[in-house]
Amino acid sequence: MCVNEQQLSQHLKGIVGEDHVHTQLFERVSYADTSLPYDVEEGDLPDSVVHPADAREISEVLKYANQHKIPVTTYGSGTSLMFGTKPKHHGITLSTERLTTLEINEDHQWFECGAGIKTGQVIKELGKLGYFLPIQTQIGSSVGGAVSINTLGHLTDNIFGRPVNNVLGLEVVLPTGEIIETGSKCLRRAAGWDLARIFIGSEGILGIITKVRMVLIPMPETADAVGFFKTVEEIGQAVGKLYKEKFPLPMDGEFVGEKACKIGYEAKGLDFPEGAMAITRSMGRDKQDAVRNAQEMVVLFKEAGATEAFILEDPELAEKVWGVRENAMRWGQEKGLKGYLAIEVNPTLPRLAEAMTELTHITEGRNDLIAQTEAYLYGHVGSDSLHCLFAFPYEWSTEKMKQVVDQIWNLEKELQLKYDGVGGDWGWLPHRVPFFREKYGETSYELIVKMKQLFDPNKILNRGNVEGEV
Amino acid sequence: MEEAPFDEDFDKYLNEALITCEKCHFCNTVCPVLDTRVTQGPFGINRAIYYGLQWNEFPEELRNLVYSCTTCNKCVDMCKKVSRALPLVEIFEKAREYFLVEKMVGPMPEQVAALKNMHVRGNPWGSPSHERTKWAEGLDIPFASKENQVVVLYFVGCASSYDSQGQKIAKNLSKILKKAGVKFGILENEVCSGHEAKRMGETGLFAYLSEANSEMFKDAGIHHIVTGDPHSLYSFTREYPEQENGLKVQHFSQFLNELIDKGKLKLSKKVNKTVTYHDPCYLGRHSEIFEEPRKLIQEIPGVTLVEMENTRADSDCCGMGGGRMWMEPPQGLLSSQAIAERRVQQALATGAEILVTACPFCNITLNDAVKSLEQEDSIKVMDITELVAMSL
Repeated sequence: MCVNEQQLSQHLKGIVGEDHVHTQLFERVSYADTSLPYDVEEGDLPDSVVHPADAREISEVLKYANQHKIPVTTYGSGTSLMFGTKPKHHGITLSTERLTTLEINEDHQWFECGAGIKTGQVIKELGKLGYFLPIQTQIGSSVGGAVSINTLGHLTDNIFGRPVNNVLGLEVVLPTGEIIETGSKCLRRAAGWDLARIFIGSEGILGIITKVRMVLIPMPETADAVGFFKTVEEIGQAVGKLYKEKFPLPMDGEFVGEKACKIGYEAKGLDFPEGAMAITRSMGRDKQDAVRNAQEMVVLFKEAGATEAFILEDPELAEKVWGVRENAMRWGQEKGLKGYLAIEVNPTLPRLAEAMTELTHITEGRNDLIAQTEAYLYGHVGSDSLHCLFAFPYEWSTEKMKQVVDQIWNLEKELQLKYDGVGGDWGWLPHRVPFFREKYGETSYELIVKMKQLFDPNKILNRGNVEGEV
Repeated sequence: MEEAPFDEDFDKYLNEALITCEKCHFCNTVCPVLDTRVTQGPFGINRAIYYGLQWNEFPEELRNLVYSCTTCNKCVDMCKKVSRALPLVEIFEKAREYFLVEKMVGPMPEQVAALKNMHVRGNPWGSPSHERTKWAEGLDIPFASKENQVVVLYFVGCASSYDSQGQKIAKNLSKILKKAGVKFGILENEVCSGHEAKRMGETGLFAYLSEANSEMFKDAGIHHIVTGDPHSLYSFTREYPEQENGLKVQHFSQFLNELIDKGKLKLSKKVNKTVTYHDPCYLGRHSEIFEEPRKLIQEIPGVTLVEMENTRADSDCCGMGGGRMWMEPPQGLLSSQAIAERRVQQALATGAEILVTACPFCNITLNDAVKSLEQEDSIKVMDITELVAMSL
């Protein structure tokens, strides 16, 4: 960086206006803070936080950054669990929060939105017209962020597909500042080359997505079913049966392990049997169809050994039951453990039950810091993502926290390699780079590095993420 | 055991509370103050306090963020529902107290005069104390005292005592109570409930004002208070020590419903209007009184009640709570007018002719927003008491 901080902020103000550049300490710290259990350190802070209004302003910022070799870290909503928004080399944090336009075009049967709009807002507006957003990440996450990592949150992959299947086109600003349009405005997507697909899932290293156009999906009718099992292993077996015996796939499915269930039931005032719980949301063309599919889930659960299973007809009870899963972030607190870190494992279907059992007992028989944590198992059963939340005392020193984080991430890598997992819900960059390299080999990793070099010769954009820096 | 120094207590409380934050950002999704920057919402405010304490840095920008919260409590509900149940509003208020008492960086400069006025004249606007009951002149409302005991004390509150729009609430409620034959009175020397002083972090002043009011309640033998000010209601029921002594405090919507149920209050005149109801934060989310105002509105013959997009516990704030009535957020933070305009836009979307509320602060703010949006011909803002009085 060959300009000083003052020159930097002055120039940025010239591009986006005085009100949209922030250099105060408490602005910068919020844009550097992530859900890592330890504090932001001086080295993590950006020099300036900039909020451009559109692709043109973003383009100007990136051209300036290239000219002066200033790192630019993109920020959508900061809700990622991969910590890609944490600046590793100071510079500019570029927020897309002002890109909040939304056009729902029923004639064309697509909607187009600014990358910074929150999924919750889009869900709400689409819902008013009877449409459904096939991205059910947390409501505060940005659409651009979700598309950039190609995640759909908790939904089952095989129902609506991932963003790559539903995005018709993108507006993207390349790291060198050029603005490009990709994809289609008709409902027929291109066979062969479609540059949108290069950016979807590229985790922000090849360009900044500024606009997203997605197909409109009619809002399905839904019905929920719940099943209670003695162990999570039985739930794993039920999921295998779900696919192999061609049951109607639920659009969303969650499970909660024994230990977490106990706390969740208590928090929600539910008097359910001890053990693990699976909950599914089935869909249909009409309510009757959805209920019929949910009834199939009840049959599946019972055949797989559930002690009890039924359709959740009462909306209040349904809210409480889903709440048992939503309550995840409070686990550990009952023991005064406020520090936490979660992992994700995506086992192949035949080994799902085995992985669930291993994760249930993951802290046992170890000699490392993980043995000193309290682990809670939960996750998704439509498309399998097993999450394990490790809770530990927040009184631990930063050094000890960093050690336990390293150990947990290493454990995640080992488990993912063992069970043949992938980027799952959260993606790869930056902290899963070692996992990617081991899983796919150095040739594959080098291809990504070379692509990055091609798009971003000065390594401006999200510097450190491909390198695996956290 | 030796008592821990004040400073240390605060530090410990704030640190422990803030370290619990899971940093999920759910709180930001419901914040009325949040415009486009993550820093403007509860996530940003709580992170700023946390790092302020860690780094011992308490500049103006931190104070500005902390004082920008309207204390509407929507984030608290959200955190309770899906995350770690942080008492965010309590944390922000503690931080304000810490800044004011310990670090001398609070309150906001414009709030100083309001606090001074509360102390000297018993109301934030600095109006003369002897004019507090001027609205009641000629209405034959007795002053409650030891000698002149009343069944119900009407606690008027500052806005309804001094503000011209607020005074309409006081006059209409008095008219309704008289019509129902309630033996009620007001305090001759009522002072501010102190609610807003506490919100601004001036807990010492709150204690002083609450003691003054409590003493008057005691002297006049008061057992039952009815108020039209949800802010005072909240302090009386949650923050005044009298609550422990069984003092019954009600919002007028609760009391008037009881009078209707007992047949003492009859609403007979038709008011053929479509109305929508705005839940004031300190009546709704903070005091969990959602249904009584709606029931009262629906008791009025001819009235059709339609709901806004965000209603009951999900209602949006008018923007004036948490001490913001006496400050304008610095540049870069969302103005109270912008927050109120968002709410009025929701009301306009319902097609209602009247936007009804049950709080003098909301009344003032939403009225101003209707004017700034130049929508006076489309919608009127009214307190429920005005609507009820039309039906007497």
